[in-house]
Amino acid sequence: MTRSIPGVPPAGETAQRRALPVLPSASGDPGALDRRDFVKTLGVAAAGTALLGCSQEQVEKLIPYLASPDGMVPGVSTYYATTCRECAASCGVIAETRDGRAIKLEGNPDHPLNRGALCARGQAALQGLYNPDRYRGPMIRRGDRLEPISWDEALRAFAERVAETRRGGQAGGAVFLNQHESGAFPAFLDDWLAGLGMPPHLSYDGQADFASIAANRQSFQVSWPRYDFRAARLVISFGADFLDAWGPSVTYQLDWADARTDFARAPKLVYVGPRRSLTGLNADEWIDCRPGSELAIARMLMGDFTPAQAAVVSGVDAARLERLRAALEAASPSLVLGGGSMDVALMANAINNARGNVGATVLTAEPVTAYDGMNSPADVRTAVDRMRAGSVSLLMVRNVNPVHTLGRSGAVAEAMGRVPFKVSFSSIMDETSELCDLILPDDHSLEQWGVAQPLRGTLSLQQPVMNRVFDTRPTADVLMAVGRTDSALASRYAAPSFREWLLPRLPGGANGIAAALPNGLIAGNVEPRGATRLAPLPRLAPPIEGTQGDLYLVLYNHPLLGVGRGANKPWLQELPDPVTKILWQTVAELHPDTARRLGVKNGQMVRVQTEAGSVNLPVCTYPGMHRETVAIAVGRGLVRSGRYASAGVNALELLLPFEDRSGAPAYVATKAQVAAAPGYQQLVTTEGSARQHGRGIGRAMLLADIGRDVEHHDGPVHHKLPGDGDHSHLPGLRAPIAADAQGDLVHPEDIERGMYDPKHWSGMAKRRWAMTVDLARCTGCSACVTACYAENNIPTVGAVWQGAKLFPDKTGFGANILRSREMAWIRLERYFEGGEDGGPDFDTRFVPMMCQHCGNAPCEPVCPVYATYHAPDGLNIQVYNRCVGTRYCSNNCPYKVRYFNWFGYGEPARAQYAFPEPLNWQLNPDVTVRAKGVMEKCTFCVQRIREAENRAQAEGREIIPDEFTVACAQACPSRAITFGDAADDRWAINRLVHDERAYHVFEELNTYTAVVYLRKVLHQEPSHSPQRRLVPGSAADTGGGAH
Amino acid sequence: MISRRTWIVAGGFFALGTLAVILSAYSGASSSQRFSPVQPVRFPHPVHVQTLGMNCLYCHSAASQSPDPGLPAVGTCMGCHTIIGPDRPAMEGREAFRSAEIEKLQKYASGNLPIPWVRIHKLPEYVRFPHMRHVTAGVSCQTCHGDVQNMQQVYQANSLNMGWCVSCHVGQSNPPFRARYDCANCHY
Repeated sequence: MTRSIPGVPPAGETAQRRALPVLPSASGDPGALDRRDFVKTLGVAAAGTALLGCSQEQVEKLIPYLASPDGMVPGVSTYYATTCRECAASCGVIAETRDGRAIKLEGNPDHPLNRGALCARGQAALQGLYNPDRYRGPMIRRGDRLEPISWDEALRAFAERVAETRRGGQAGGAVFLNQHESGAFPAFLDDWLAGLGMPPHLSYDGQADFASIAANRQSFQVSWPRYDFRAARLVISFGADFLDAWGPSVTYQLDWADARTDFARAPKLVYVGPRRSLTGLNADEWIDCRPGSELAIARMLMGDFTPAQAAVVSGVDAARLERLRAALEAASPSLVLGGGSMDVALMANAINNARGNVGATVLTAEPVTAYDGMNSPADVRTAVDRMRAGSVSLLMVRNVNPVHTLGRSGAVAEAMGRVPFKVSFSSIMDETSELCDLILPDDHSLEQWGVAQPLRGTLSLQQPVMNRVFDTRPTADVLMAVGRTDSALASRYAAPSFREWLLPRLPGGANGIAAALPNGLIAGNVEPRGATRLAPLPRLAPPIEGTQGDLYLVLYNHPLLGVGRGANKPWLQELPDPVTKILWQTVAELHPDTARRLGVKNGQMVRVQTEAGSVNLPVCTYPGMHRETVAIAVGRGLVRSGRYASAGVNALELLLPFEDRSGAPAYVATKAQVAAAPGYQQLVTTEGSARQHGRGIGRAMLLADIGRDVEHHDGPVHHKLPGDGDHSHLPGLRAPIAADAQGDLVHPEDIERGMYDPKHWSGMAKRRWAMTVDLARCTGCSACVTACYAENNIPTVGAVWQGAKLFPDKTGFGANILRSREMAWIRLERYFEGGEDGGPDFDTRFVPMMCQHCGNAPCEPVCPVYATYHAPDGLNIQVYNRCVGTRYCSNNCPYKVRYFNWFGYGEPARAQYAFPEPLNWQLNPDVTVRAKGVMEKCTFCVQRIREAENRAQAEGREIIPDEFTVACAQACPSRAITFGDAADDRWAINRLVHDERAYHVFEELNTYTAVVYLRKVLHQEPSHSPQRRLVPGSAADTGGGAH
Repeated sequence: MISRRTWIVAGGFFALGTLAVILSAYSGASSSQRFSPVQPVRFPHPVHVQTLGMNCLYCHSAASQSPDPGLPAVGTCMGCHTIIGPDRPAMEGREAFRSAEIEKLQKYASGNLPIPWVRIHKLPEYVRFPHMRHVTAGVSCQTCHGDVQNMQQVYQANSLNMGWCVSCHVGQSNPPFRARYDCANCHY
């Protein structure tokens, strides 16, 4: 191998061959035949030495192992069960590693929280592991620069500082800010600090909803109860975005989809809040109250207010509120969730108590323990106050970034300037660690040992899935090493590392671990950290009504980027926001009417100003907004958190230094001045239109019509043409072209005759790979998109340097997206139905759209070089090495799911290179990294199909039904996608393709797609189309047809 | 005028010739067949395979389990060569001698260094060649790699071009094999 990888044993031939397309080697990328190779070839050929082809010059090295690791076969994946640490919930993940490198994360099917699914943030943990902006090793501040030093020097410097602090009697003034996590480490850390006479650490999480946690602790004495959506008949959410990122959202995605598709008992969801979040878009009804008035509505449900009184405060029609109250009275049990404000969450808990929901849908006896031990953000604020006062002697931070998350008005940076010595254990650069004096970078969570406690009685093991990428060390090991330098503590830290310290303390002891490692779960508990101190009194915000401004300002944590933790991961930046479909950009969301009143259109700039500061943002109109509100997502515009994180604008500039009653920063606390500003920024979005325009892409039917054999009229009218095949819902089976290939129309002597015949000797046509997408389950969370990026080596194209060269006039993050150069093989289309008048009653259709693998594919006959064709097993194949880039196929594709490599995203020498070292370590070796100038698209994860076939053949058997699935289906947290062999009844997909809700998108084009969509189910008649009331037994015309 | 036309014709022929060369190169008609680089350790396949009767899979054990055949770890070599040192005793028809190559191997092993073998057989990145499917189907290693057991210095015996692959898959080999030849079996 031409490059040595620190800490990774040199892999065998596999890693060499597989890694080559991206590792900069002496030879470049031979497979891609780029322009340089082409010219080189020409030169060689013209010199008359054509005998020696281009491949002659490419001398590569094959580096074998020194000693082959047990049980590892080069080229065959090894899987490790570990724990996701991207949010506090601690889902279980299975990390796929190939030749010593983690290449894919998938949910652990045995884990009780996520049951095999994994959200986009969890999958993007790989881009944290391989982040090019991680600290390479320990660093120390010399002057105003951080300079690399050795671990010995760094540990000595840290130990000296600790000793000095203690000698000066200032140990009590030390502060340790740690990223909140559950499990054994927090108690270990408190113990270490106590041994040195330092106060317990502050466990901080900027993206968890601390308002709900504080309320739950007060109401139920647990941080987070378990919610049973299946038992509920009605769910009312007051800003609790349980499908976005509120609590363990993967669990809720699964529970919610299961509850909703149990049609007979499905709960209704009413969302109350000023902005329709993803959860709000999944609700049957949205009550668009004024910001801050959720409490009044909740109190109305408690009987404290009459609907008329609540209507005055909230601006919602009293009759609607009365209906809501009646619905709650009628539903038993129900479930009321409150988020974002402790008062609202407390009131929600009180309603649950009063309605007898506790024990039925709110299960306080089976709590989610992942949030136990978390400190109030007000604790962090008081620590900052003490820093400012000069009474903090030593500051230690680990993976938290208060300089950013507390906003500019938090003035953390200035306060840190008063601390004599600051140590950061963060593994990646951020605003806070860049101000520190000593960096002792922690291992990534995928590189170290640990344990998490997601639920009471369940421990989730964390184990390293590969050797270290950089010269980092687990913080626990560093603390132990420093502890050993102190004679009083040395005996306590006799174990050589945290692993040896931890394992004997787990239930079952070190021997039990070996048995637990395969699925990563241990029954039992670890000792929790001691009681956290009582939070200080919050700095409550004055009533929002009394603030100055034109519009209420609603800040919200971006569902994918959090407060900024995901901002330096290009997968998450390039994943369109599930609601606004904006990527790489921060926008001011306004109701279309409000924008019209301000005289601005999409992309025109507005200036949003609060007492704390102001930002200029492009307008993005969104009908799911309260008319008196402007909403801005937090999580972008971080200036020192790495190369990708600076996309967009930091909305926390607008944050006032006020707190919710729980101590969490008050995101909804003020009005803001909003005025049109000069300038225009085209919206960076992958969306064409938010309306279906009668195309019937995302269809729906009424719950009442299920099982009633109604005739649907929600697609375009289908004109039957002579020669049309039979329109059944069999996925892609009987296409005219297939009939041709099966020999009906060919010359009997043709050599290719019968290739598509199931009886052909190759047996390929015996299978018919197909997919179903259940729109009643899909919540639009977009985890499938990230899974596809990870599995299929899809490049991200939006970084600022990727678009700068060719079109200098269009620069900035997302410039390539503006030119429609995005490469997402699967995209989540989001359509609105109804609400054309700007009213709140609109329905949303989420439609995952990928190559439909048409049986009669429009792309195939137009390819002049036969680079795309139909394989006998039902796949629409794209052969990269045949493709010459005419793009005819893409032009002819009615689904617009083909993506062209306009630039050399996979070529390290190019400015558009998408995988700066070491992000390229993640690339899936089973999938070609596409070269410039070729078309690509969803392959139905053909590499997984081939792998399953290979495995079956090696074991001398047939493929077992549902033995494997594709990446999007595997990740989907609501289990909306099913993949399988539609020609074999034993596969689960066969129950779904014949479902009464099944339809094909653009069936009228006779494309005979292999993807079958199942209609979304409307649980109540849409109020936006009263003129089309359902006549019993007749059509449920609720789809796109008339819009 | 005539001379000008001659120039045009000559130039035209030159352009055509260049085009033909480019096309032939681009079409993959070139290959590194007979490529035979000098390796860091002159590993003699004939001694190991013919004299000692070792099976290919002893060292290339992944070939029957994995898409990639793998190379033996240095530890695998040393499994024998800790005992079989560089001092080779006299045998029938051979004087005692000291093997510089085994010395090199032992130096790599004692220095914990992998041996930087020079790659000979390489398919383009857009091709997937699952070794195990071929090995378990009974295709001998020699079918593709040539008579490695006779090669003092390994070279690429076959072109490894697509036409050469497909000729087997469609049953034109001797003995005849037949296997799926759909594009997406190998290209994805």
